[in-house]
Amino acid sequence: MREIAALVRASWLTETSYRVSMLLSLASLVFMIVPLYFVAKALQPLMAQPIATESTQYFAFALVGATVYTFIAACTSALPTALASSIGKGTFEAFLGTPTNLGLLFVGMSGYSIVWALVRAAVMVTAGVALGAHLVWSALPAVALILLLLVLAYGAVGLVGAALLLRFRTTGPLLNGVLAGSALLGGVYYPTHVIPSWLQDLSKALPLSYGLRAARQVVLLGEPLGVAGHDVIMLALYVTALLPIGILCVAVSLRYARRSGTLGHY
Amino acid sequence: MTTSAPIAPYTSSLSGFVRARPLAVNIDQLTKRFPVRRGLRELLRGAGRHETTVVDQVSFDVAVGEVFGVLGPNGAGKSTIFRMLSTMVAPDAGTATVCGHDIWLEPSRVRTTLAAVSSDERSLNWRLSARENLLLFAALHKVPPKETEALVTSMLRTVGLDGTGNKMVAAFSSGMRQRLLIARALLARPKVLLLDEPTRALDPISAQEFRQFLRTELVDRQRCTILLATHNADEALGFCDRVVVLNRGRVLATGTATELKARFSEERYRIWTTDPDHGCFAQLETLGMLRRLMNHAQGIDGWFVVDCAIPGDPSRTASVLQHLFTCGVSVARLERVEPSLADLIAGIIGASARENANA
Repeated sequence: MREIAALVRASWLTETSYRVSMLLSLASLVFMIVPLYFVAKALQPLMAQPIATESTQYFAFALVGATVYTFIAACTSALPTALASSIGKGTFEAFLGTPTNLGLLFVGMSGYSIVWALVRAAVMVTAGVALGAHLVWSALPAVALILLLLVLAYGAVGLVGAALLLRFRTTGPLLNGVLAGSALLGGVYYPTHVIPSWLQDLSKALPLSYGLRAARQVVLLGEPLGVAGHDVIMLALYVTALLPIGILCVAVSLRYARRSGTLGHY
Repeated sequence: MTTSAPIAPYTSSLSGFVRARPLAVNIDQLTKRFPVRRGLRELLRGAGRHETTVVDQVSFDVAVGEVFGVLGPNGAGKSTIFRMLSTMVAPDAGTATVCGHDIWLEPSRVRTTLAAVSSDERSLNWRLSARENLLLFAALHKVPPKETEALVTSMLRTVGLDGTGNKMVAAFSSGMRQRLLIARALLARPKVLLLDEPTRALDPISAQEFRQFLRTELVDRQRCTILLATHNADEALGFCDRVVVLNRGRVLATGTATELKARFSEERYRIWTTDPDHGCFAQLETLGMLRRLMNHAQGIDGWFVVDCAIPGDPSRTASVLQHLFTCGVSVARLERVEPSLADLIAGIIGASARENANA
């Protein structure tokens, strides 16, 4: 844990040395939430019926969708981005030269981005609540569990991205494809049952669809976690299936990089 | 300068260091081949993969507490050997152990006993201070939290950065960054330190101070074993206890500096004279007492430089000088010049060819 904390602290100190960039990153959230509020207000009569199983208020529905998606997108790209930066700077080889194992290094390297994404998510939720979004605060532990499962499922995609980066120095279309697909079909701004039936099958393949539906049911409708049990189990199955694949891909790529001597290349 | 024909490596008989002490590093027939990148045309043509051998059956031992030089021109395989020892690159054949731990079978144990210092300053975090850089690596090297602050302060003092520890690394000079890289490696309290061209970015005075620091602080005080890769023959032969000379991935020779110089390089001299074309020089060459290497056309205040080799012991040099005076050649200065890496490699290859011919 100390290794993770040290890596997160180093990233924090690096980021805070770019103060203007950091402040702008937070300020940009206002430009995201305020238009969302007005658009949601305008669409409330139209959306009330389709979102009834997940929320009564369209602004809260969209707020949860946007916040969770922004958070998950940051978590998915956290490791590949940190790895690309570390390889580019030449610090990755130096990290690997220490006795700290690769798992801890990866968590530490991506830890700051995840924590910062959590802070941004908290700012978005706070702004949303200030604008009138209604949330059931007692459901936060259940939401935390759902978010954790989402982070692990999408983190596995990030691991595959990191493996591609180690092997080809690019993640290719993987991350953008998964994130764009999740934004369009994962139920971020509209429930998945309103999209055409042939696309709904694709939507069922995305962990975000299950995570968002479960999160909204508990935090917007105040339902117990058991009501969203099916979605939570599906998420857990995704994690169980995807994480080993991600770890295996990284192991294979690292072995290749060690064999071909490309570990420190950028 | 070199030939691609394989030559039998010369190994010193004066390996008292290795015989008297336990081994810190043992390399046996280590080999590494890298794939050659194919161009678009070759890919489209479906051409097969090619490989280039960058380290070819390299073997040598390094004793505990030894300063061992790995000398070779660019592309000799020095850095690849270091990267294999530090477990960043997997060997294709052969074995290597660091303090008894196999680099392929026990990489994590190797990383606890060995630290590599590359000359790549990029591997520091430039947006952090020197102290913050060291604090990060102290945690990664699992230094106990209670000892961390004191150790970091001590390391900064050891490398002479105690006054600038809170300054951002981006504001450091190359020399300061090099010293910080050393401090970072020392945090791990390594038994073996790999230094890859550590003085490349240093001026001659700083380089000398740095070598002094390595000898007194690391070798004499901390009993650290140092492997130093360099293409600077002066540095390797003047500073290291023993040296391995590599060329194109192969070991050409291993031995002490004195032995390698005596066996493979002629004594080089530089003569400052007003008459570089005097017949006396040709006469000395005919007698086999001197071999002119180069006359510098540009004179300074009427004095010209003649670079030459004078074979034999130093008394032969005195005879040459006396002969020049007898002939009436004005000589302002006669100085000994350290052999270059190119001279040494050419000498080793030449000696090997002569031995093969004799055999």
